[in-house]
This record gives sequence, C-alpha cells and structure tokens, in this order.
Amino acid sequence: MRAKRLVVAATAAALFTTGLVVATAPAQAAGKIDYCTVQNLTEAGGMDALVTAAKKEGTLNVITLASGWANYDEAIALFKKAFGIKIVNDNPDGSSAYELQTIKTAPAAKQPDVVDIGATHLGAEASDTLGRSLFTPYKVATWNDITPTWKDTNGLWYGDYQGTINIAYDSSVTPAPTKISDLANPAYKGMVALGGDPSAATESFMSVFAASIAKGGSVDDIKPGIEFFRSLKQSGNFVTVPATGANLATGAFKIALSWSFNGPGFIAAAKGIGKDLKYVTPKDVVLKGSPYIQAINAKAPHCAAARLWEEFLFSENKGKFSKDLTSADIKQSGSKVFATIMGGQNIFNSGAAHPITEAAMIKKGTLIAPPAGFEIPAGVKVYSPTLDQQIPQQAVVKTMWPSVIQ
Amino acid sequence: MTNSYVSSKGVSRKGGTFARRNLIIAAPLLPLLAYLTFFFFWPMFAVVVDSLKNNDHQWSLINFTTIAQKPYSTAFKNSILLGALSALFASIPGALFAYIIEVRGSEKLKGFINSLSGVLANTGGVPLAFMFIATFGAQGSAIKILKSLGIDLYSGGFTLFSFTGIVFVYLYFQIPLMVIIFSPALHSIRNEWRDAAKNLGATPRKFWTTIGVPLLFPSFAASFLLLFASGFAAYATARAMTVGNIALVPLVIGTLVDGNVQVNQANVGKSLAVGMVLISALAMIPYLIIQRRARRWQQ
Repeated sequence: MRAKRLVVAATAAALFTTGLVVATAPAQAAGKIDYCTVQNLTEAGGMDALVTAAKKEGTLNVITLASGWANYDEAIALFKKAFGIKIVNDNPDGSSAYELQTIKTAPAAKQPDVVDIGATHLGAEASDTLGRSLFTPYKVATWNDITPTWKDTNGLWYGDYQGTINIAYDSSVTPAPTKISDLANPAYKGMVALGGDPSAATESFMSVFAASIAKGGSVDDIKPGIEFFRSLKQSGNFVTVPATGANLATGAFKIALSWSFNGPGFIAAAKGIGKDLKYVTPKDVVLKGSPYIQAINAKAPHCAAARLWEEFLFSENKGKFSKDLTSADIKQSGSKVFATIMGGQNIFNSGAAHPITEAAMIKKGTLIAPPAGFEIPAGVKVYSPTLDQQIPQQAVVKTMWPSVIQ
Repeated sequence: MTNSYVSSKGVSRKGGTFARRNLIIAAPLLPLLAYLTFFFFWPMFAVVVDSLKNNDHQWSLINFTTIAQKPYSTAFKNSILLGALSALFASIPGALFAYIIEVRGSEKLKGFINSLSGVLANTGGVPLAFMFIATFGAQGSAIKILKSLGIDLYSGGFTLFSFTGIVFVYLYFQIPLMVIIFSPALHSIRNEWRDAAKNLGATPRKFWTTIGVPLLFPSFAASFLLLFASGFAAYATARAMTVGNIALVPLVIGTLVDGNVQVNQANVGKSLAVGMVLISALAMIPYLIIQRRARRWQQ
C-alpha cells in the first residue's frame, strides 16, 4: 500500500514538474533573481516580476505600525487587497527602539521585513557602520524625488513622511485655540496636555520645541518652551496626563499638541467615544519634524514583498483607495494593479503626514488634498530643526524637564 | 487561616536530619529553580554585565558615574521617598485595620475583608491611574461634585498630578496589601498570653508596650519593607499619571531603554536597574537584624 502510493506520488510529481518547466520556460529568467540582493526595480526584473515574486512569498512582516498613525491602516488594507499578500504587524504600539532591538535579537521567522523608525535613531543606531549590519540597500523608482538630506547615498535608508505639530482640541472649548501661545489663556485651566514625556517621546519633544519657537526660542534653544510649560503648570493649565483617548473621554484634558499624522486617527477614535475633536495648524509657528525612516531589514524573511512594499510606500500615484478597488482591478497584471492603486506617498498625505516627495508631487500635480484642517496656512514660517540641532536640546530637556515641571 | 510563619519556622528548626529533609523538600522545587534561573538569575546577570559596559561594549564604570549625577540622582531620591512615604502612610493604618478585623471581626467579615483586600491590592497599573484621574483629576467627578458644594480643591492648591498625588494613589493598593500580609502575624499573639498578662495585673497598655508591640515589630518591619519595595518599583501607574515631570527610577529606565528622544542609552538604564537591586538589598539589612534578634526569644 505504502509503496504503491509513493510510486503514484512520484509519477505525479514528475509529470507536474515537466509540465511546469515547459509552461514557465520564459519566466525562468525571473525565477533566478535573488530578491534579497536586488537594489532597484530594474534588477528586480520589473514590476510584474516583483509582484509575482512577492505574491509567491505570500507574507510581509511589518513592525510597530500603530493604528491611526499616518494612515498606515489604509496602506496595509490596500496592499493586502491589491496583491493578496498577508501582513503581519508585530507590536503595533511599540517604539523605534523596539524595532531595532527586534532586528538585533529576534529569531529568523519573527524578523520584520521593513522598519519605520524615528530619525533620532539614525545618529546612534543607523549610522553607516551599524546601518550596514542592520539594513540592506534598495533604491525605489521615485528615489530622485526624495529630499537628498533624508536618504543614504547607498540606499540603506530613506525618509518617508514628516509631521507638523498641530493643536488638537475638544470642540466644546471656547474660545477655540489657534496659536500655541493661546494655551496660556486662563480659560484653559486644567485642560492642556502633551502626548507623553518629552525626554522619551519625539512627538512631545517636538511639541516643547514648537512652544519654544513660539515663545522667543529658536531651533537652537528649547529652554523658552520648557519655561512656557512651567508657567502653564503653575497656572494650572497644564495637566500631566498623557493625551490618550481614555483621558480625553473623561475630560482629563481638552487641548493637546500632537503630530498632524496622528490627527485623523485620533479624530475618528474620539468620535467613537462621543467627543468632537478638532485639529488646527498653529498660526504662530509651524514645526515640521524630522521624517520617519524606511529601511529593508538585512535579515528580511520576505525579500520580494519587502521591496514591493517600499515601491508602494514611495509611489506617487494618484489612484484608488482600498474601498474603491474592484475585483476586476485586482485581476490585472502586477504592474497594472500597481498603477491602479493609490501610491503610499498620497496615502501618507491622506493621513495628514507630509510625504517626503511632496515637492516633486506638487510639481507633477499628483498630490491629493490633505484632510481639512491640516493645511499649512499660507505665509506661516515652517521650522525644521536638524538632527544636529536637536541632539543638544534633547540633553537640555533631559536635565531640565523633571526639575522644572514638578 | 494557616499557622503564622513565625511559629512554623520554630518547628522546622527542631526537625532531625537536616540534609535529607532539605533534599526531599528541594526536589519538587527544581522546576521553580529552573524558572528562577531563566527569568531571574540569568537576566539579572545580563543586566549587571551590560551595566558595566559603555556604548562601545568596553568594560567601564561610566554608567555608574553618570547615574550618580542629576537627573538620575533626583530619580533615586524621589523613588526612595515615594517607596518610604507610601509604605509609612499605608503600614500604620493597614496594621490597625488588620488588628481590628482580626480581633473584633466575625469569621464572615474576616473572609470578606480578605477577599476585598486581595482585589484592591492587585488593582494597579493604568486602570488604577485612570480611576483616580477620572475621579480626582482636574475635571474628575469627585472634584466636580465638591466644586458644586463650594469646595474647589484645585484652586486650593491640590493636584493629583504631583508627587503627593502619586503617594495618594499608591495608598489605594498599599493599605489593602498591608492588611493581607500583616493579618497572619497577628495570630502570633496568643490569647493565653493576653489572659496571663491580665491575671498578673498588666493593663492593656502595659501588655502592648512590653509584649504585643515587640512581638509584632519584626513582622511589621517585614511588611513595611515589602510595601517599600512595591512603592519603590511600581511603574505603570506613575507612568500613566505623569509625562516625565516627576523623575522616578523605573520611569527613567523605561525612557532610556525604549525612548525615541535620548537614544543609545540602554546601558545607563541597566545600571539604574542594578542601583534599584542594591537599594532593595540594602533595605533588607535592617530586617535581617531585627529578625535575628527576634528569633532568639521566639524560639
């Protein structure tokens, strides 16, 4: 019995293999590509071949992509629907430190394919020597549109989107705040909060930075921002609860400084708990943060899917969101599906983030409109402290913040 | 209620062949030992080793010289103070509650209080912080009710978001914890002793100053130190109530290991962890001295 079954199986396998070889002879060339070493779309054999290879892998491991953050929810949904590739999102609310730690220590199968890390980690963690051991170079098709400051010349890492510091407020607050300096208004007693600890969370650090510039500081001086929050604490305006949905629900805070790209998600979550949350770009100072950084893990378990994901995130296409994508759209060839769907850069834009290729997209006329309330008002100066400017100010916050804001 | 550990310890000491007995006791403990090795000894060893290395992976004491300075020294000061104050304000009322319930309470009440304490003592973390923020925060329900009665606590200088506020919140789990851990010790005061003292003409006051308090003091000290450790090391509650404005060692470690602003500082965090272990160990020394003295007359 057992032997007979084996013979049948072997014959079937032989027939199948022969058939396969004959049928797929032209695709053999593509099959030989080692997707773990290709560094651009041409080497990947073009979009059709890349999509085929990624579909064959079937899975993409992402890490710490928080729900409501820069509309990653839509990016994940669209990628899944368009290419039928499963996405595993490890520890959605984890930090950049967690991402890097996972690359360094996780077993092979749990390794993320791609990372999205805060730019502050570049200085220490993704510097050239270490970057090479962690990441593998790849240059997306839109490589030339990425701001030169925010990409590694070898393609080890590349910025993907930036946020601005906006004011989030419960619409019941009167008067509605329009400037960061408004937060000192006595009407806001017990209402103003930050997202977290400025010596740990980039969002809060940048919020204090924005306040500093609004109160006479500069991109080289964060102290006036710390002083501003000290005065808010003393006047009772500043409550030291983290600006979470739960704390908003109980009214523990009503106004917070927040990354623009957390806005649409937070507004939707607030609606779910019966709160009407609004966002406004401050009229006194707009602070644009350093971009988040994309990179492909050198130990990526799904090399083709990782590269397809990067092509997708940096696509400037003005196409269809997941809800508009029909089954006929999906049946097209890989390159056509890719050309049909909304590009990742526009998805970030729909999530109130500023895509890194924004300038090029405006020129080409492919940028979609951001959600209402997140436009940068004309004539407002936009500040962007560089990493070199941020590092000494981080040390200032670390020493001053706990002693000043008790 | 089982026997108090004070008296059972006395019995096992008198037991015969010490070594064989230990072996029999130890065998079922092997899984526990394996567990401790993986989740306690080995991580602790790794933390100590990393704390002695700089960012270039060379042996160095730089992390320890760093944590001796501000803001880390402030964090240690705050954490020790938080542990000590929350233990102090919880241990005295907790011990009194435990006494009243043990001595005066019916069996039913004792059971009820025990279960209740178990629940309350294990209420911690973010939910606990959230409860207090929703009740005693600037816009909290209790604060609003008091305000409608003409008492405005927040304009009177009260705020939940301060060091005092955290101590206040910690008492919520520290007092029930004291009731749980101190109640068994009260069994060591035997009713016969009280009767004997009474027969010999001792007033209740005399009984307590010369017999009760000295007898209970080692257990009280042990309970106090346990409360200290629980207040000293608590993380999630304080984290949910602060945004880095009150430096506490566990929060600072979190910032260093997982933060996005100050990066590549994990080894400083590990040296802070070693510091916490050392402080906990130092806190045990007075306890050991008290225990040794107490054992002499407990046997």
